[in-house]
Amino acid sequence: MLSSTKIIGYCQPLVINQGETTQLKISSNGPDSCEFEVLRVICADIDPLGPGSKFEKQDWQKSKKIKIKNQKINIGSFAFISSAPNIKNEQQIYISMYIWPTIISKPKQVIFNWGNLSIFIRSDGKCVFEFNSIKVVSNQCCFARKWYKVSCLVDFSKKIISLNINNLDPETDELPVDKSELKIDLKKFSSKIYPICFAAKIDKIEKNKIVTNNHYNGKIERPQIKLNSNSVLFAKWDFSQKINTDEIIDIGPNKLVGNLVNGPMRAATGHNWNGSVKSWNQNKDHYGAIHFHEDDLIDCKWDTNFTIKAPHSAKSGYYIARIKAKGTQSDVPFFISEKFRPIKGIKKNKVLFLAPTATYLSYSNTHVKFDSLNTENLFEGPITLSEDELYLNEHRELGLSHYDTHSDDSGVVFVSERRPILNMRPGLYTFNYINDTHIIKWLEKKGYDYDIVTDEDLHKYGIGLLENYLVVITASHPEYFSTKMWDALFEYQNKGGRHMYLGGNGFYWRVAYSDYYPGVVENRRGISGVRTWEGEPGENHLSFTGEPGGLWRSSGRAPQSIVGNGFCATMFLKSTWFRRSKASYKSKYEFIFKNLNDKKIGDFGYRGGGCVGLEIDRWDKDLGSPLNSEVLATSENINEDGLLSGEEFITTTRAITGSNNAKVRADMVFFTTPGGGAVWSTGSIAWATSLLWNNSQNSVSKVTENVLNRFLDNKKF
Amino acid sequence: MLRYSSKNSIYKIDGSRMDLAKEYRDNLKGPYSFELQNILDRMRTSSLNGRFVLIVIEPFKRFGLARLSGKRGEPPKIIDNVIYNSISEAEWDIFKRRWYELTGYNINIKDPS
Repeated sequence: MLSSTKIIGYCQPLVINQGETTQLKISSNGPDSCEFEVLRVICADIDPLGPGSKFEKQDWQKSKKIKIKNQKINIGSFAFISSAPNIKNEQQIYISMYIWPTIISKPKQVIFNWGNLSIFIRSDGKCVFEFNSIKVVSNQCCFARKWYKVSCLVDFSKKIISLNINNLDPETDELPVDKSELKIDLKKFSSKIYPICFAAKIDKIEKNKIVTNNHYNGKIERPQIKLNSNSVLFAKWDFSQKINTDEIIDIGPNKLVGNLVNGPMRAATGHNWNGSVKSWNQNKDHYGAIHFHEDDLIDCKWDTNFTIKAPHSAKSGYYIARIKAKGTQSDVPFFISEKFRPIKGIKKNKVLFLAPTATYLSYSNTHVKFDSLNTENLFEGPITLSEDELYLNEHRELGLSHYDTHSDDSGVVFVSERRPILNMRPGLYTFNYINDTHIIKWLEKKGYDYDIVTDEDLHKYGIGLLENYLVVITASHPEYFSTKMWDALFEYQNKGGRHMYLGGNGFYWRVAYSDYYPGVVENRRGISGVRTWEGEPGENHLSFTGEPGGLWRSSGRAPQSIVGNGFCATMFLKSTWFRRSKASYKSKYEFIFKNLNDKKIGDFGYRGGGCVGLEIDRWDKDLGSPLNSEVLATSENINEDGLLSGEEFITTTRAITGSNNAKVRADMVFFTTPGGGAVWSTGSIAWATSLLWNNSQNSVSKVTENVLNRFLDNKKF
Repeated sequence: MLRYSSKNSIYKIDGSRMDLAKEYRDNLKGPYSFELQNILDRMRTSSLNGRFVLIVIEPFKRFGLARLSGKRGEPPKIIDNVIYNSISEAEWDIFKRRWYELTGYNINIKDPS
């Protein structure tokens, strides 16, 4: 068996247009050279009992042999101020800040480091202030998830160093003030050549990378440095400023602006947050903290091994650089999205497939099989671990997904494309990426002319991108949508556009992109929806935009309001089928079901044996299904295999399965839109994975084809 | 914050109920009786430390058995000389192993043919 992890890599950027380049960055765990070729992915499903994988070798990139080496990743976030003025002759240095540690039992977690000054928490939970290798230690331990004010003093005239820990919420037996002091012969402080660093210790500074260690897990708020009798302000960082950026602002006289590395969580509640506001936009003063994690990662910053240039003639689509060396074959994904060329007047008579890259990133490198207790319950079967997943567990430096928690159990809010992603490529992780390529293969098999763009493109260009096309197809699970993406798709639909939603659990979480963090998606889970962690109170607004995070439904836009149906249940054990509704026999829907004899649709498929499965959506006027929308088919026989999602019931109940709760169902929905457009929504992830069954000679394929053919007809609805 | 805990799973399994083991053996994918469903829920909420998992040896064809370490970064511990040729074969075997560990009873009915 060829190894898929001896060599790994990523392309930066993940998404390019025709005529653009992407940097292939590779790290080797063995071979010192490899060859690679570029393939267009038509179907990434390698299951021998599946629909048949299909890749198309690209002549425009000749097979290349390249030298490779091992490349390291500096994981963990920190704040970095590259230089500070020399303060050699001062009589006193006073440093203070609020902290909220989240892990206590680590060997050494450095909160603040500046030259020969440092503040850290040691493994027994005691706080330490160190100056020139002399340490003053707190008397009592800090506890996780409690606020403390830490104040440190170096007094050259009195020859003392001291550490004060004010416990802001003391419980039984805890000291409200913990004071420690040491009288020593002090040498002068020299900060000249050292940067200031929060939440880690600088090991070395390389040409484009800072190497750190001893990362701190937890929040830091309002750090400041004063000089001489506690009266002269030297620096005072206000983390509530520029929350949507990677900059930290010093409001002191020296303007020691710094940068955040590897994306710690901003818009974090501070020691003074009291529940009076829930968003950092409402009162920034309550959001002066940043939450750092030892396993935050935005950018591996690997050296480039090769630059891939997509020709102007390249077909838009899913691509991989397939890397080969002895005993190794490893795929590195990238996307060529159709270049945005605004067209006035006439729409292209073809299809646009929206590759849900926001969703791919949200799931990227998920560790839930290792870290989340409920995974086996959710999937209702034994956990199977592939080589890629075993590698991800042992190589935590590849970073986390939105489904993971950090090592301190807080939720992951940022995911990045600037790292190897091992579950967004051909392989054994079929959810999302591989399932979506069933649609690509189907489009090709049926001979449709189509272009592909990604979520990132839609976010960037908006409706203009969609307006070029008569039909937009969204994928098997377009779960994560930014506001700009939603608005663009909604406006497209209402201007006569035609949208085919070939999946389930779409348009569910509200996420954000940021120009300050290219290739990064932010997600705040909130307190509702099917989720693997719960957002902290007060921290459920997106730091990139200030918008509420969480479910779109919680922001007044349930998926029903854009596609007519919305998520209601998971069903990972077995899939089932649709049965046509009475309404579907109206003559106006004849185009959908023509040449179809069976009332039952899709009792077959590659996921669970049916076209209704994995995650499903239902129609609901109260949640925004348009007044003119109709349910054309509904699932049947879900029984115990469907489980109602949390936001779908109010009081506790035993009735949460398909056997006893009517909300556990998939509804296929159709409605027309202003301007002669229409929306057709399947409401099931497994719809897409039934398209290719029996060589696409099947009812799911037929219905999809019928709809697509009509949607490609200019005639208005 | 809201945490999962394996300690929240408390259903008591009567290890002598071979009728329930037989029910599972004969119908791995359900639907299950109320009692069997409770047993499966209990088993599937097992602690991450020591949870049985399958390791892909040859994709779609051969699987090994291992136990999760429950610690981030630590690989699962392989159980030697256990190879399955299908997921369903593995599901039944893991069920038997869990039954014994949770109840002290061996399942003494025949394996599926």
